[in-house]
Amino acid sequence: MSQTGIRRGRFRRSPLGSKWTPYIFLVPAMAYITIFQLVPLLQEIYLSFTKTSLLNPGRNVWVGFENYIATFQSESFQQTMLVTLVYVVVCVAGSVGIGLLVALLLNSRFPGRGIARALVTIPWAAPGIAVAVIAVWMLNAQYGVLSRFLSGLGVAVGEGGVLDDPNLALPAILITTVWQLFPFTAVVLLSALQSVPDELVEAAHVDGAGRWWTFRVVTWPVIRPTIGLIAVLMAIWSIRRFELIWLMTRGGPLGTTKTLVIDLYSQAFDSKQLGTAAAIGMVGIVISLIIVVGGRLVANAAERNS
Amino acid sequence: MKTRARFGVTFRVIAVLILLGIVVFPLYWMFVTALTSDEQLFSGTTQFLPDFSQIGIFAEALAQGDVLRWLLNSFIIATGTMAVTLALGIPLAYALSRFSFGGKVVVGIALLFTQMLPEALLVVPLFAIFRETGLLNSIPGLILADSAFVLPVVALILKGAFDGVPREVDEAARMDGARPGSVLLRILVPLITPSIAAAAVIAFFTAWNEYVFAVTFIYDKSLQPASVGVAGYIGEQDTSIQTIMAVALIFTLPAVAFYLFAQKYVIGGMTAGAVKG
Repeated sequence: MSQTGIRRGRFRRSPLGSKWTPYIFLVPAMAYITIFQLVPLLQEIYLSFTKTSLLNPGRNVWVGFENYIATFQSESFQQTMLVTLVYVVVCVAGSVGIGLLVALLLNSRFPGRGIARALVTIPWAAPGIAVAVIAVWMLNAQYGVLSRFLSGLGVAVGEGGVLDDPNLALPAILITTVWQLFPFTAVVLLSALQSVPDELVEAAHVDGAGRWWTFRVVTWPVIRPTIGLIAVLMAIWSIRRFELIWLMTRGGPLGTTKTLVIDLYSQAFDSKQLGTAAAIGMVGIVISLIIVVGGRLVANAAERNS
Repeated sequence: MKTRARFGVTFRVIAVLILLGIVVFPLYWMFVTALTSDEQLFSGTTQFLPDFSQIGIFAEALAQGDVLRWLLNSFIIATGTMAVTLALGIPLAYALSRFSFGGKVVVGIALLFTQMLPEALLVVPLFAIFRETGLLNSIPGLILADSAFVLPVVALILKGAFDGVPREVDEAARMDGARPGSVLLRILVPLITPSIAAAAVIAFFTAWNEYVFAVTFIYDKSLQPASVGVAGYIGEQDTSIQTIMAVALIFTLPAVAFYLFAQKYVIGGMTAGAVKG
């Protein structure tokens, strides 16, 4: 250690080795993020307190909390919040639940395991746009393979098809989203499962523990932190999620698939109401923040308890 | 005991096959639809196997209208985004991994926070900024917007990779008087090449797949990327469904192929990013 001290002394003389060194590496990226994300965000916060039309963006009239109050009072926004809640909860529960089952399956021994593990990532690798295109085609009222399958099962689908049916559109979008998300959670959980020590599993078996008991006592404690993190990540991703819903239904029919982000975009670009759109966006960010901070607090509490 | 174990394996294999069926079917269905003749398609029965005599549809699809132009635009946008994010993200990750400095916590929070921002929210102010600076309706503008969204993810992935290299490796070189910049380029970057490749793949395909910015910022047809072009087919009546599926497949396959090829590193990187983010 004493040697290090001497060497440090020499290092300090090097012109770049000052306390300013890290900033040379840091400043370009942070300046960039500031210009392209933080400054627009601040502008958006400002816009949320103004009445501004997309057609006339220079003319902002300060209206205080009017946009927020009007948004919260409108019935359509209550529906939007409900749809968003359902969307986020189902996406998180579905992708984590199915992802965990798939991870356990792929962690067990069977022939062709490597290929299966590779192929399962396909939905997550496929572009959202392509997923929307194929989903719309498969659900096409007359020729769609899934529509035919559904009518074969006796599900009554209206003239316009699944995506035009207020009862079926949201389930269709949920299934598509979960289809795309669960492989990611599965693969992340699979890597967590691989850090479960084999000896512990064997020891549990030797002690006569059944599968369920082994899972609860040995596996679950190891993967629990990862499950918490991935659930928070999935929640944030689902709140942000835009193109799949937009391209499949544009929030319709009757607003039954209109999430916060869809509402925000159509307020801005269909209704040209930038102030209202900004206010809706702020609600989305606050919800994301609550999820992240809440997730942290729960994780910390769990750590202290165990 | 033995028969029970064998039964277990059979059961697992069946479960895996069902799983893979669910996972692969939509892509397979794109392929089958592209390779189905019109008579078959509108005959009322469902054809589950591709008709390989229709294989020419892929060449026809590429020759159609703007398809090649779209793909080229997407390639330029994705490559540009990859270059910008790596150029900014590698130094940022290095600073975060190897130095302690004032404001480090703020930088960490900023990176975490930007991951919560919906693109649909920032599209409005960026639209205004771009209009004033002449970046609207330009490929460089789109590259700048896309890069800002991938940069935090890339930085977190690369920070995780740098953290995995023992400090002694580069400290020794620094103590011998090497400047931090050359330590980064000569010693650390070569050691984490796989993670950099993974980050590059993520940056490339995030931009390749990006839709919201592209559809809002670009209104010249000749500058449109493939994501906007393919999305434009939805609800449109003039193009045959076979062509639509063929183009969508041509747009999808590079992304899927690359993720399969690089998935070990991509998933390792994304997990590191996810865990830290």
